Amino acid sequence: MADQILQINHLSKSFGSHEVLKDIDFTVSQGDVISIIGASGSGKSTLLRCINLLETPTSGEILYHGKNVLQRGTNPAEYRAHVGMVFQSFNLFNNMSVLENCLVGQIKVLKRDKTEARDHAMHYLDKVGMTPYINARPRQISGGQKQRVAIARAMAMDPEVLLFDEPTSALDPEMVGEVLTVMKNLAESGMTMLVVTHEMAFARDVSKRVVYMNGGVICEQGSPEELFKNPRKQETIDFLSRFRG
Amino acid sequence: MNKFAQLAADITKLWTKYGTAYLSGIENTLILALVGTVIGCLIGFVCGILNTIPRRPNDHPLKKFILSLIRVIIRIYVEVFRGTPMVLQAVFLFYGLPYFTDNAVKFTSVWAAAIVVVSINTGAYMAESVRGGIISVDPGQTEGAMAIGMTHVQTMTSVILPQALRNIMPQIGNNFIINVKDTSVMFIIGFPDFFAAHRATVGASYLYFPSATVEMVGYLTMTLIASFLLRWVEKKMDGSGNYELVQEDQLTMTAGTYRHPDRGTPFDERSKEYENSEKEAE
Repeated sequence: MADQILQINHLSKSFGSHEVLKDIDFTVSQGDVISIIGASGSGKSTLLRCINLLETPTSGEILYHGKNVLQRGTNPAEYRAHVGMVFQSFNLFNNMSVLENCLVGQIKVLKRDKTEARDHAMHYLDKVGMTPYINARPRQISGGQKQRVAIARAMAMDPEVLLFDEPTSALDPEMVGEVLTVMKNLAESGMTMLVVTHEMAFARDVSKRVVYMNGGVICEQGSPEELFKNPRKQETIDFLSRFRG
Repeated sequence: MNKFAQLAADITKLWTKYGTAYLSGIENTLILALVGTVIGCLIGFVCGILNTIPRRPNDHPLKKFILSLIRVIIRIYVEVFRGTPMVLQAVFLFYGLPYFTDNAVKFTSVWAAAIVVVSINTGAYMAESVRGGIISVDPGQTEGAMAIGMTHVQTMTSVILPQALRNIMPQIGNNFIINVKDTSVMFIIGFPDFFAAHRATVGASYLYFPSATVEMVGYLTMTLIASFLLRWVEKKMDGSGNYELVQEDQLTMTAGTYRHPDRGTPFDERSKEYENSEKEAE
């Protein structure tokens, strides 16, 4: 397939003797919005971190446009510039203002000139509603605002895929909505997204594919309707029933 | 009271006769302390950065070996220079080099020798401070930088070091103040600092205690001004506590907002309520 961005084959990851990911096979195509759900410790975040090479997989391969990025000789920094990531703890650069946060990657990594980078940054800061705060420091804004800036920072790099690692888990309940709204708009604009989340409403209503992980393996995946209305595996039924209450 | 009047008279006498000697001593002390601290900090930063290059399991064996070697060398450097008195280091360098090389290698100027000794010494202390400063920066900052495709060097220079520098500013200030005082041992190689001015003056005037009083007051004045300036620099680095809003933020929630705009939508975090409202609608 020409529009396939990532293909993950037989991916495994162990921390010491503890096997967190077991033989994961997984593909991401252009325009996919995939939610990864599952209990804590099921390996969702580790999978995402492996895809961005923040963790080195123990075995398996990650093909980016058909090229294995785990081979020696590939430049992880160059690859990461195409695969954006939004973290649970925001990880905005504390020594920079909101605007500078969105500029530094464009200027240092993509070598854009300052005016172009600024226009680009302002475009995405506007999309997440953060233009009023361009001069603020991360410590001066709320969690929801930080996460929106983090999304703008990632988007300003024009990534092909955007990975979200539990983007709303560290937020106070009243701030979850503003971040999810931004993510929903992104999904509607055609952005390829891979979202690890505990927000079932988001997984059900926004994503095109839902992946349920359990014990380091992909237990079940399919369209939101299939997975939420007619889950096939007993584990999935048990997991979902806990959310329905 | 009599004694104080005597002291004041002696100090006045000393100052009118040898004031310029004291002042040029102060100047030399400050220059040496400043240059030594700056170069020492650079050494410390280089050592700290080399010390914190991550070693990954799938790195090339040669790279791993070189990184380990660098760490061992820095460890030895730090332990040796931190563990011996600066007086002796000055003697070793200034008199030891010509002794061992039959005068082939020697410092022709005491300035060069003094700067080298003070810098190396400060570097040994700073290496550990910088390492601590780098470690104390939240690992999330590194991940955030790596995630937008920055290399190790870019991550360090743009994100980590500016924050580490802020963290270790009190340490740098400490080292500068220590250097202002400890450069007094450089009289051993004939460096004309503030303390050397004292020795020269006393030799000529025999007013030992009044001159020591001048020294005390002089050193205290220098260090107090240094502390004050450092605090000011730290404040500048922290930046303004305020920022200007350009316009209003539509998405944010502020305290007292009555109803969340997402309530009753798929993005309601209280999805039960959402489901209930759905049922009601049916």
